[in-house]
Amino acid sequence: RPVVHAAPSVRRFARELGVDLSQVQGTGLANRISEEDVRRSAGQPSVA
Amino acid sequence: MTQNSVDYDLLVIGAGPGGYHAAIRAAQLGLKVACAEMGNVGGVCLNVGCIPTKALLHAGEGIRGAKHAEDFGLTFGEPKMDIAKLNGWKDGIVKRLTGGVSALFKANKVTHLVGEARFLDAHTVQVGGQKVTARSFIIATGSEPANLPPFPVDQQKIVDSTGALMVPDPLPKRFLAIGAGAIGLEFAQVYHNLGSSVKVIEFAPQVVPAADADAANTFAKILRKQGIAIDLGTKANGFTERDGELHVELEDVTTGEKRVEVYDRVLVAVGRRPRSANLGLEVAGVQVNERGFIGVNKKMQTSTPHIYAIGDVVGNPMLAHKAMKEGLVAAEVIAGKKSEMDVVAIPAVVYTTPELAWVGLTEAEAKAKGYTVKTGNFPLSASGRAMTLGDTDGFVKMISDAKTDLVLGAHIVAPHASDFLSEVGLALEMAATVTDISLTVHAHPTLSESVLEAAENIHKQAIHIMNR
Repeated sequence: RPVVHAAPSVRRFARELGVDLSQVQGTGLANRISEEDVRRSAGQPSVA
Repeated sequence: MTQNSVDYDLLVIGAGPGGYHAAIRAAQLGLKVACAEMGNVGGVCLNVGCIPTKALLHAGEGIRGAKHAEDFGLTFGEPKMDIAKLNGWKDGIVKRLTGGVSALFKANKVTHLVGEARFLDAHTVQVGGQKVTARSFIIATGSEPANLPPFPVDQQKIVDSTGALMVPDPLPKRFLAIGAGAIGLEFAQVYHNLGSSVKVIEFAPQVVPAADADAANTFAKILRKQGIAIDLGTKANGFTERDGELHVELEDVTTGEKRVEVYDRVLVAVGRRPRSANLGLEVAGVQVNERGFIGVNKKMQTSTPHIYAIGDVVGNPMLAHKAMKEGLVAAEVIAGKKSEMDVVAIPAVVYTTPELAWVGLTEAEAKAKGYTVKTGNFPLSASGRAMTLGDTDGFVKMISDAKTDLVLGAHIVAPHASDFLSEVGLALEMAATVTDISLTVHAHPTLSESVLEAAENIHKQAIHIMNR
């Protein structure tokens, strides 16, 4: 099992933005990574 | 070769589950696709694998169900199986489904090329009598039954999984399955329910060696209770045929003790080997390992980047749904998407009654990976739904990480386990915790509540059992 905890849709989103999930700090429960965490890591503005 | 001069954007070699998924997804994404197939579309799964075995299992289950109906007062005469009709019904299902794949090809404008394929160079494949060029290729040639030299398959007395699908009339009185994996056990139950006296032998010390030990042992106990003999730690050395009977020499792997037992039909189900020979892979620069598997990366690319490989030919687990997913990934990458084979777990199922189904890590695997393992169990004997179905043999075992409460795996022995196992598959992909499952309302009465209770048992809060 990979150490990153992210849903399949978030993992795909990270691939599309070219973000390495192992470098993303997840802010959710059990350090889960959200789409917002990926966006922040990619330096993209958050969407309201 | 220029990109404009090729016949197709993509040529898929093989129309099994992996190949036809790849072809259809690539066509959905706008590529000009052809799929070469030397046999029937649908591959092993539809023609001589998943589908026909499930049909036979269902038919055998009808006989078992009729006997069990006595418990609630329903009696029938002695069941009579019209074997020609059984084979015909099974073949009809296969025909409908393979016809369905052909129709999907047509609807998606996938060209079906008939014939055996062989690379002439890295951009040209000979299919039957014609040369076909393409920008990309997906090799999805699958696998075939591994042989066991002392038992040469004649598809009459010594059969592989394909031969075992043709139920003979009269039925073999004594049936031996060599190998207690999914294929051996499923056919054992088919022939047992139809009326043969059945034994399964397995070299390893447990049935379904890849499964969780507790689950596999509980499963074996239930199959034995049904009347299927299982000899573990046993191998078959060979046989002699006398008066039409097969005198098979069996050997206890630990003690070396030998004995001879008599059978009428022997199934060789000791594994499958990849079909990677005679494909001209050398001229295409595609590397194959010493066991014949094609090496691929997460994008399903081989050592020749525009040639991809998916399914059984790239390695274990040799499961249809794994091939299907890999097919989608390869097609998406070829169409320019940033797709890769990125899954937490692939479910595995043995489709007997009860089923043995699991997803994620076994207890031993979780410990080996360094997790602080917690387990929760729920026996089907405490399930109201299982009682109403007359099938209370089985259990759910859930495995979690004590530190994070994350679900690591679930191992289910239960009727229809494959259908409610998907819940745990989603939990694993979503990185759900045991608490997430506990807080999810499960319909009552259902077998799926056993997953909820096993999760609650991890926290010592299952309601319908004492929590130990």
